[in-house]
Amino acid sequence: MSLMLTKEDLAKYPFLKESATFVESLQLDLSDLATEEYSCVLMKALARIRNGIDRTAKPVDLSDPETEILAYPLSLAFVYGSKSNWLLNRFATVEAKRVEEELRREPEGKLVEIAELGFAWDIQQENLKLEWEELSFSMPVHAYLEAATGFNDTHWKLINRYVKGGRVFLNSGSLSRLISEGFKMKIIRRGAERELADFRLPEALRRHLDEIMKYAQRNAQYDEKLPQGLVSDARPPCIVAIMEDVKAGKSLSHMARFALTTFMVNVGEGVDEVLKLFGNVADFDEGKARYQIEHIAGMIGSKTKYKPPKCDVLRSFGLCVGMNESCRNAKHPLNYYRRELKRMSRFGGQVDARGRKKRV
Amino acid sequence: MREVVRREFNRYYSGLEAEELRVPEMPKREFAFLQFGGEVMIRHMKFNDPASLKGYIVENTPAHIYHSSAYYKTPDAVDMNEKGWQSADLVFDVDSDHIRTVCKEKHDRWRCMECGREGLGFPPESCPNCSMKKIDTRTWICEDCLEAAKKEVIKVIDEYLIPDFGIGGSDFDVFFSGHRGYHIHVRSESVRALSGDGRREIADYVRGIGLDVRSHGFRDVKNEILVGPDMKDGGWRGRIARAVYEFVNRSSFVELKEVVAPNVAKNLSENKEKFLKNIASDPPYWGGLKGYTLESLEKIALASIKDLVCNIDERVTIDSKRLIRCPNSLHGKSALKTLRVGYSNIDDFDPLKEAVAFRRGSIRVYVKEAPRVRIGDDELGPLDDKTLEVPLALGLYLICRGAAEPR
Repeated sequence: MSLMLTKEDLAKYPFLKESATFVESLQLDLSDLATEEYSCVLMKALARIRNGIDRTAKPVDLSDPETEILAYPLSLAFVYGSKSNWLLNRFATVEAKRVEEELRREPEGKLVEIAELGFAWDIQQENLKLEWEELSFSMPVHAYLEAATGFNDTHWKLINRYVKGGRVFLNSGSLSRLISEGFKMKIIRRGAERELADFRLPEALRRHLDEIMKYAQRNAQYDEKLPQGLVSDARPPCIVAIMEDVKAGKSLSHMARFALTTFMVNVGEGVDEVLKLFGNVADFDEGKARYQIEHIAGMIGSKTKYKPPKCDVLRSFGLCVGMNESCRNAKHPLNYYRRELKRMSRFGGQVDARGRKKRV
Repeated sequence: MREVVRREFNRYYSGLEAEELRVPEMPKREFAFLQFGGEVMIRHMKFNDPASLKGYIVENTPAHIYHSSAYYKTPDAVDMNEKGWQSADLVFDVDSDHIRTVCKEKHDRWRCMECGREGLGFPPESCPNCSMKKIDTRTWICEDCLEAAKKEVIKVIDEYLIPDFGIGGSDFDVFFSGHRGYHIHVRSESVRALSGDGRREIADYVRGIGLDVRSHGFRDVKNEILVGPDMKDGGWRGRIARAVYEFVNRSSFVELKEVVAPNVAKNLSENKEKFLKNIASDPPYWGGLKGYTLESLEKIALASIKDLVCNIDERVTIDSKRLIRCPNSLHGKSALKTLRVGYSNIDDFDPLKEAVAFRRGSIRVYVKEAPRVRIGDDELGPLDDKTLEVPLALGLYLICRGAAEPR
């Protein structure tokens, strides 16, 4: 173990390989953690997931770091075992938030070490004094992009950073945020790995998982699914603009077609509805279009259902028509759409299956 | 018609040293081919060495030869998910078609496929008559467009890759594509693992997309007291400062008025020297002019960077699985070679001379219509409806462009 890292650090920063090594050294398996002997670990793990559901980033209990170190992999097992992307995202987001708050209290040298041990990022301490801020760290552009592409705010775009000689210069706040985002992505990516697809929780733990899911449904807006069919009022401005071009019979770029088709397919429109939409386009070929839509919907070919491109991509391809107020918090057109649906059901009434608002 | 081009392509490849077809880390690349007259790409091929690639090419004589920018575990797997993507070169594509040059008025035409409206020069995004976006183009290249493309390449490398991204001379290669422009292949380890999102950020960086001037040090400390970046700063921060300096220095009152309110433009042009001296001082001082606000400064900054952003085809840079032309292969639409350009000699590189693959012989062709064309030292046109004997490279070029037929 490194000189600077303590057991408290391993509890705070479970993405450090030293944390995993510590857990492995105990040679426990998941079923062991379901026994009476480890009930306090189980309690901590469940509390951590509930924090995720409640969106509260509570610091770990440093009076008993070993229990916290063990609780983390157990809480992850619950999250992966739930097969719920919603829970996975919530848990990862709140864990990242917690880590970010811890990191902001750390001295500079420790940040460097945590980034190195956690993600093999080559961080250097710098002394770049600018007009009204000081950039005390630098990291390679590629390492920066690993984490920063997850952020939406314009100041995280590479073009808005101080970049020189292959390195991005940062202050400690930004570095803390990047490390925590790196952690979040690690949790989410691991969840998408093939070997986890068949992962099932041991029987002894399933009862607790059911309780967690009930808790989620009771205490948070658990919304894995979208209503079937397009709700026009919830469309983001980029999709509205493409649809207007379609209506006007203009021919569309490949990316515009792809964005519209994937959007429609993902909000639950059928192939025939999407086809009808394109009927106006100047160079419309029904046979070809049907094939492409079915491909995008994952009905034929690779069987992958494609998602629309995210906001950054649409922007790069000139399809973003400018943000409106609701765009500010969205990274993705479907993200926007979901939020608008939620907002509409909160203010104007419920949304029915065909997407029309019901008065309440 | 195709037969003569095919025969000459075959002769070229037969005489080529196999080693000239070498691509770094060949066994990890996917190769792909487009046959003469073929519409479907032959894909998912793997060659372990230049000799086997040459053998295939001589036997099949394709019109276009590509390899993947990506390195795969199993490059010949048919399913993209089974290929096992490991990493990919970062590629920048500069295409003269996308650059507005004056010469396009002389050699390019467009036609709206909806209403038939025609015009000369750079095609409009949508038809000025019926506003449809289906525009057919007939474009040619000349020395001027290729020179403009070369300037963009130099800009990408000298202004961005070297100073900002720290990419050294041994980390990249520049290629003339064999037709309209250039490719830059960056192969350093640090860029190879970049995801599509990371590549998009780099494309946006050199294209100036998403630039937020306020992220680069401009602050309104107190009314009309502005602080801002130093021209010596790195990256976009210093670039903006230098750009504003140059822009204000060279702009007249009338030009400034197009960017900011008339009173600000007046103030700025009357106090130009003082303003420039202030922003060049250490530390720089950006304010002190009446009516001059952060908003007006932002407008000036955005106007002043227009010539600094790079005109690249962002789709190529973003794509981590792109197929790109093989070095020393022939371009089926020009019969010119895809040729590596030594970066230290790029200023003197003449693509229409050095990428000529057929240096001897002549061919008799019927030319339907062509603008002035130069290949090597030979020039012809503008001309139409004429049969004549021309040097082989020039004749094949016109045939490949669809402007001539062998006679």
